[in-house]
Amino acid sequence: MRADNPPAVHMRNITKRYPGGVVANNAISLTVLPGTAHAVVGENGAGKSTLMGVLYGSVRPDAGSIEIDGAPVTLRRPADAIRHGIGLVTQHTTMIPALTALDNVLLGFEPVRFGTLDRRTGRRRVEELSAQAGIEVDWLASADTLSVAALQKAEIVKALYRGARVLILDEPTATLAPAEADRLFAVVQGIVASGASVLFITHKLREVLEHSGHVTILRGGAKTGDRVTSETNADELVSLMLGADRSAVRLEQPQRDRSEPSDVSLQVRALTVRGRGGRPAVHSADLTVRTGEVLGVAGVDGSGQRELAEAIVGLRPTVSGSVLLCGEDVTGSSVAFRAAAGIAYVPEDRHREGLILDFDLAENLLLGRHRDASAGGGRFLQRRRVLADAERLLTESGVASAGPLSPASSLSGGNQQKVVVARALARNPRALVAMQPTRGLDVGASAAVYDAIRAHTAAGMGVLLFSLDLDELREVSDRIAVMYNGRIAGVLDRDEAGVERLGKLMTEGRP
Amino acid sequence: MILRRLAPVVQPLLSVLGAFVVAGIVVWACGGSPFEALSALLQGSCGSSTGLLRTLSKATPLLLSGLAVAVALRAGLFNIGAEGQLILGALAAAWAGHAFTGLPAWIHIPICLAAGVLVGGLWAAIPGALRAWRGSHEVIVTIMLNYLAIQFAHFLVNGVMKDPGSMAPATAMVEPSARLWAAADGSNFSAGFGLALLAAVGVAVLLRRTALGFEIRAVGLGADAARVAGVNVGRTMVSAMALSGALAGLAGAIEVLGVHRRYLDAFSPGYGFDSIAVALLGGGSPVGVTLSSLLFGGLSAGATYMEAWTHVPRQIAGIVQGVVIFSAGARYLKGRRR
Repeated sequence: MRADNPPAVHMRNITKRYPGGVVANNAISLTVLPGTAHAVVGENGAGKSTLMGVLYGSVRPDAGSIEIDGAPVTLRRPADAIRHGIGLVTQHTTMIPALTALDNVLLGFEPVRFGTLDRRTGRRRVEELSAQAGIEVDWLASADTLSVAALQKAEIVKALYRGARVLILDEPTATLAPAEADRLFAVVQGIVASGASVLFITHKLREVLEHSGHVTILRGGAKTGDRVTSETNADELVSLMLGADRSAVRLEQPQRDRSEPSDVSLQVRALTVRGRGGRPAVHSADLTVRTGEVLGVAGVDGSGQRELAEAIVGLRPTVSGSVLLCGEDVTGSSVAFRAAAGIAYVPEDRHREGLILDFDLAENLLLGRHRDASAGGGRFLQRRRVLADAERLLTESGVASAGPLSPASSLSGGNQQKVVVARALARNPRALVAMQPTRGLDVGASAAVYDAIRAHTAAGMGVLLFSLDLDELREVSDRIAVMYNGRIAGVLDRDEAGVERLGKLMTEGRP
Repeated sequence: MILRRLAPVVQPLLSVLGAFVVAGIVVWACGGSPFEALSALLQGSCGSSTGLLRTLSKATPLLLSGLAVAVALRAGLFNIGAEGQLILGALAAAWAGHAFTGLPAWIHIPICLAAGVLVGGLWAAIPGALRAWRGSHEVIVTIMLNYLAIQFAHFLVNGVMKDPGSMAPATAMVEPSARLWAAADGSNFSAGFGLALLAAVGVAVLLRRTALGFEIRAVGLGADAARVAGVNVGRTMVSAMALSGALAGLAGAIEVLGVHRRYLDAFSPGYGFDSIAVALLGGGSPVGVTLSSLLFGGLSAGATYMEAWTHVPRQIAGIVQGVVIFSAGARYLKGRRR
C-alpha cells in the first residue's frame, strides 16, 4: 500500500447501544485499505452485523465517525452508503422472485432513454461488470429459478452496478458448497484486483486464512485484534474470538463405539418427490438411518435435500416410494401424525419455518405440542403447565433469555436455534431430520446444538443430518450420504469420507 | 422500552384524539363551536341514562361484528364480508323467530340465535375454504359474497319471505317468545348487549386458552412455522372464518330479536363495514374491540343529539370515524409490512 492513499474505509470509535443496555459495538475502529479483502470474524453477538449495519447506513451509531476515501461522511440510510460506494450482499437474497436477474440488478438505478427503460444499455453494463469480476449468471432467467449461488453472484453484480467500491459480504459461504465457495472467493480476488475492497463477515477461519489480506476480530461488542492475515494463525484467531479461557470450546468428535448395525430408526424406500413447479426433485431415494446413528447428507445446495427432508416429515407429498419409522409405514400421513409418532424436524429457516418471532418463547416451545397434555396442551391449554414446561426446556438447553414470556425475536440467532432444537427434542423423538441445524451459528452455539442432539442419539434416536458444511458433516456423522441431482449418489462410512471423495460425488454423482 | 410496550394502547388513543381535533377544526371552519358540539356529543352519548343505553345499543352489533373481523384478523385473514354474514344471520333468525310457534322463550331464543350463528358461519366458511384450498384471496371473495348476500336477502324479503300484511319489505314479526328483553325508553337497549359482552369474553378465552385459538394465532403470525410444526393451516383458516361469520351472524340475529323484531330490508347501516374499523382500532383484541365499539356506538348515539341541539350536522361524527379508520388502517399496514 502506498502511504498517500487514504484508506477506503476508516471507522473510528463506533459505539452502538441498543435499548435494554446491550452494547453491540464499543468504540470499535476499523480500517479497510483499498484493494484488499478484509475479513471480520467473531462469534454470534460479537457485533459484526451491527458494525456492518453502521457502515451500510442501516444502523445509527451513538458515537464515532466514518471516513470514506479520507473524507468524513454521514450515513443516515442505506441510500447514503450506496452513494458513497458501499455495497452490501446479505445472507438472504433481496431479489424479487418474479423479475429477471437483470431487472433485479437494474431496479432503482435504471438506465433511461427517451423516458423508458433502456434494458440494452443496462444489460451491456451488467455483462461488462460481471465479465470483469469473472461472474457468469443467466441474466434473463427469473430470479426464482436461480440457485442460491447464482443469486449471490447476481447480488454482487448488483452492488457493483450501483458503483460499490467497498463490498460487504455477510457470511457469503453460509449456504454454498465447497466448490462454489472457492469460485466465490475467486470472484472476490478479481474485485480486489480491480482496486475495490471487499469486507467479509465469516465464522470459518479457513476462509479468513486463505482468502483475506487483513482480519479484524470482534468479541462481545469490542475489537480484540487487527491482524495482517499472513502474520497470524488459526490458534491466535480462535483465542482472540473466544477469549483465551474459552478457546477449548470446539466441536468435539463424538466418541462412540462403532457397535454392530442395530435397529432401524428411519427408512426411506425408493422415494420420488416433486419440487417447485412440479419438476421431479428427488428420484427413487433409498436411505436407512439406524438407531443411535447420525447419517449425514451432503450435496451441493439444491440437489433435492430440502424436498427429501420435507417429504420425510410430511410437508411435501410423495409421488412414489415410502417412508418408514421403526418399520411402521407413515407415507401419506400428516405432519402432526408423524411428529406424534416420533419424527422430529429442525427446519432450515429458523425465522420463517422454525419460530414465530412475535410469539413468546413458551408459545414457540408449545407449537406442535399444543394438543399434547404432557406439555400443557389439549383442547384447553393449561397455562401453568405450559410455562413450567417452557421454563424447564429453556434451562435444560441453556437458552439465554429473559424468561418464557419474552418474544422469540428478542433472542440472538444461536439462542433461537437452541429453542427450535429443544422443541424438536422435547417429545423424545425416535428420528430427527435436521436441515443445517448450525447454519450461521458460532462455535459455542453449534456445540450446544450437537450436545443436545447427541444426548438423544445416545438414547437411540436416529438422525438424518442435512448440511452444506463438509467439515461439520465429517465431524458429527457416522456415515455420509451424498445427494447429486435428486439421487443418492453414494453412502460412505465416516472413515472413508474424505473431502475429495465427497466432493467428487457431490459434483459428478459418481465416485 | 416502556413506550414500545404502551404503543398498542397509546397509538389508538392518539388517533382518536387526533380525529376529534380534525372534526373540531371542520366545525370551527364552518362557523360552529367545536366545544359546544363536543359537549352535545358527550351529552347525547353518555350524559343521561337513555343516552348511555343508546350508546350501548348502538355498540352491540359493532362489538359482535368487530369481534368477527378480529377473529379472522388474528388468523391473518381480512374478512370484509361481515356485512353479508350479518344480513344472512339476521334473516335466518327472523325466519326461525316466526316460523316456530308455541315454544317457550328459553328454547325459542337459542334456536333463533343458533340459526343466525349457523348461517353466518357457513356463509363465511365459503371464502375460508376457497382461500385455504384454492388460494383465492379472501378479500375479493368476501366482497363479492357481500353483494350476493345483500341482493339475495333483498330478493327474499320482497318475495317469498315478505309479510303480506306489511307495506314495507320486511318479514313477519317474530313471536313474542323469540324477542330479547329490551328497555322501554326508546333507546333500543336490549339483553343483546349482555350477549355481546359474553361473546367478547368467549373470544378472549378462545384465543388465549384453547388449542384452536393457539392455532389461529400461530397461523396469523407465522403460517409457515405453524405448518412445519404440524398445524393444519387450511383447516385452521376455515375454522377462523366460520367463527368469524358465526359472530357476525349473531350480531344480525340480535339486531332482529332485540331491536327490530323482524327482518327489515336494508336495516343495517353498514355495521359489517364499520366493524372493520372497530376491529382495527381495537388491535384485534377482544378488550380493544369492546372499547372501540363503545366509542363508535357513542359517536353514533351522540351525533343525532348533537344535530338536534347545536345545528352541527351529524355527519361530523362521520369525520371522526373516518380519521380513526384512516389511522388505524395505516397502523395495520405498517404492522403487516414489517
